[in-house]
Amino acid sequence: KTTSLTVASLLGEDKPETKIWRHIAERVESRMPGRFRFNIVANGALGGEKEVAEATRLGAVQASLSTVSSLSGWVPELQILDLPFLYRDAAHVARVVNGEIGADLQARLKAQNFVATGFIDYGARHLLAKEPILRPQEMVGRKIRVIQSPLHTRLWSGFGAVPVGIPITETYNALSTGVADAMDLTKSAYAGFKLYEVVPVMMLTGHIRASGVVYFAGSFWNGLSPEEQQVLSDASTEGAAMFDALIVADEEKSVATALSHGGQVLAVPDIAEWRQGARGVWDAFAPVVGGQARIEAVETI
Amino acid sequence: METGVGSAGAPARVAAAVLRVLDRLLGSLAGLVLATMLVVVLAGVVLRYGFKTGLMGAEDLGIWLHIALIALGAPLALNGPLAMRLDILVSRLPPLPQRLAGIGADGVSVLAGLVLVFGAGAVMEMVGGTSPTLGVPEALRFGLPLLGGAALLARLVLCRIAEGDIARALAGPVLGVTVYLLVGHLVIETSWPPSVWMALVAGLGLVLSAPLAHAFLAAAAVAIAFGSSLPAPAILSTTVAGLSKFLLLAVPFFLLTGALLTASGAADRLVRFAASLVGHRRAGLAQTVLLTGVLFSGASGSSVANAAFGAATFQPELVRHGYPPAQAGAIVAATSVLDNVIPPSIAFLLLAAATNLSIGALLTGGFVAGGLMALCLAVAIALTAGDHGRMPRVGRDVQLRAALSAVPAFGLGLIVVFGIRIGVVTTTEAAALAAAYTLLLALMARRGVPGLFGVFRQAAVEVSAIGLLIGTAAPFAFLLAVDDIAGVMQSVVTLLGGSALAVLLLSNLVLLALGLILDIGAAILLIGPVLLPAAVAAGIDPVHFGVILVVNLMIHGLTPPLGLLVYVVSGVTGVPASALFRAVLPYLGALLVALFILSALALVFRP
Ligand code: NA
Ligand code: NA
Repeated sequence: KTTSLTVASLLGEDKPETKIWRHIAERVESRMPGRFRFNIVANGALGGEKEVAEATRLGAVQASLSTVSSLSGWVPELQILDLPFLYRDAAHVARVVNGEIGADLQARLKAQNFVATGFIDYGARHLLAKEPILRPQEMVGRKIRVIQSPLHTRLWSGFGAVPVGIPITETYNALSTGVADAMDLTKSAYAGFKLYEVVPVMMLTGHIRASGVVYFAGSFWNGLSPEEQQVLSDASTEGAAMFDALIVADEEKSVATALSHGGQVLAVPDIAEWRQGARGVWDAFAPVVGGQARIEAVETI
Repeated sequence: METGVGSAGAPARVAAAVLRVLDRLLGSLAGLVLATMLVVVLAGVVLRYGFKTGLMGAEDLGIWLHIALIALGAPLALNGPLAMRLDILVSRLPPLPQRLAGIGADGVSVLAGLVLVFGAGAVMEMVGGTSPTLGVPEALRFGLPLLGGAALLARLVLCRIAEGDIARALAGPVLGVTVYLLVGHLVIETSWPPSVWMALVAGLGLVLSAPLAHAFLAAAAVAIAFGSSLPAPAILSTTVAGLSKFLLLAVPFFLLTGALLTASGAADRLVRFAASLVGHRRAGLAQTVLLTGVLFSGASGSSVANAAFGAATFQPELVRHGYPPAQAGAIVAATSVLDNVIPPSIAFLLLAAATNLSIGALLTGGFVAGGLMALCLAVAIALTAGDHGRMPRVGRDVQLRAALSAVPAFGLGLIVVFGIRIGVVTTTEAAALAAAYTLLLALMARRGVPGLFGVFRQAAVEVSAIGLLIGTAAPFAFLLAVDDIAGVMQSVVTLLGGSALAVLLLSNLVLLALGLILDIGAAILLIGPVLLPAAVAAGIDPVHFGVILVVNLMIHGLTPPLGLLVYVVSGVTGVPASALFRAVLPYLGALLVALFILSALALVFRP
């Protein structure tokens, strides 16, 4: 008997978000022919990350992938992965999510009906503006577009900037007219939304590593045999690895596109002073993410 | 037995009294929520510029209030024009079939009410999580839709009792509850996808003259029996998600602005000024409405907001100057199509987000297309609206005085246009500022607080009728996406070999057909990424094609059965939708001519 599952992806067929599900579906099909039918619905047609996560809990969607930020309403502890300037590079994040902390977060997600079969890395978020902003002091008084998240708001107000909540669909407009002067985003999304047209300067702050998970609905997962769970789990672990590789390639392409359209990519001279300015966020979120000790533990991993 | 009909016994009097209290309560609460929404959005602007800080969670709070507003006001839109009933068919039936259709329509409404009540109840139990920005359980968001559903059921029964029709008061609920219980247990094996069944059931509800939004909700529930992937709680959460967009908050504010502009007398003076300039010409006032619409489009990206504004502001003026109400409404509805074509445009932003097209290039295309459409509309207006409301030519002194008295209304244009253009505020904030400004005008005109609260209450009820429709279209879009209707479309478009002409022709036909039943936002997200590659492969300029796609879909705001712009105008003005659909035909034709020219140009100018 064939079981159908609806899989929601936020972006188009040519993006890693959708490509990996095509891959996962293929792998599962080769190991258990005819057992599952993956109905992959791309382009965010089933809603944004949070709506899809809700639909998963209500039984309308069986699998998707999401930034941890969008799942933090259910598992606030996930925000340890979003703490600014805590992670040195992608390998550092990988060690954390593959270790004890990752396992703990997976257990917490499972208790909330999200079976996270793999962690993914969307790349680092960088500061984007109309002109170079190399020192944190230059952020004072600037209007920066932020996503709806206390963590992000807190980060930028800590630098003396004015956070303005603007949905991504309105962001291009708001930046071109000047409702906001700056924003932050991952490299691959930067080119995807053509933002180099309005904020041509990218500062390589890499302040937040955008992490995410590939997940299945717990209610769906619990109805499967251990063998089926194993097959899906193996395939999505592969899919997660593929995602990370695709994002790295996508980032290179994205930067090349931005440069060829007159964009600039600048390194910040003193990352330590930026890091220092973000410490307030660690203190504020320590009680939520499992204590100061856990943050320190992450630093040393 | 027909004995109950028309008699006004004691139960009817009691029911009518209870109904009055309930309506007063719901309307006042909705008005209060609307006022709070305004304060929240304005506070964000004040904090940003006055105190260099943001209001944490203002965006989410605004969205939650919007949901609350719609939940509170929606039960009031059961009767009257706000119900958006398509009564073309039912009104021609003999009494008995008409009565049966009425019971069927009530059954649809009851089914919708049950989905709201039990769907919301289940979501509250299942959704979990805490809002990161507001710090309260997400479940709270669904509490008011539950109450709104209960109020809808109560109002329906009370209305029928108050009409003295006890039989109908019972029959509708019995029908609705029976169907609700049946779809929970029935499994109907069928080879047709669930979205097709949903469309059929919604169509049946429409024919029975049930409120459009109720037909959508009921159809989503019936689709469960046909294998729909949306269980009842997910229907409700998808509906709420459809409403949970910050940009949609501009709709209530622009609607409020229109109502307050009228209440303050400023609209009257604006139109008098326009009339003093061109009123003596052929269709002068109607052309003025078009010109105002073009200017308004340069500030707003929401056609629904413009339709609401124009319907509240200009339609009454056109009628006062001798235009038939339906034609006046049709001109307003047709003009509001331009909002999403002339930048800024929500539609182009969605398309750019869903595809890889440059927003800048799309917007430039939008200017050209919008200009062409406005020109075609001007011709159509000159041809059709000619003989109404010609006024005597007036002297320079009268014009100058009219201009001076219209200065406050010009201030509104400045706020909206410059607020957005110079980049002081976002579209939603500009709408809120516009509402606040007109509130000041109304206060200065000494309209009195009770009178003004009445304006808030009325606007709130209109907002919720429109909002409920936007929300309830979302489950349908969800099912269409799951059934990969987009993929089917792609294979249709390349059917005739894939030459540029064939692809353009078939794409336009597919879009014209799909736009009949799909909300524009959903259509762009679903179809844009699918049709674009076919167009590029056929050698059509992708940006040009994107513009054609948006123009084509926007035109559907005027076509039955789901002409959203027509329903909005109908809801605000009280002119029946069926009359508007007829009256809008010449303008629809003009816009189709513009679409044809745009398509022809795409064949001439190839990349
Ligand atoms: Na516009
Ligand atoms: Na339509």
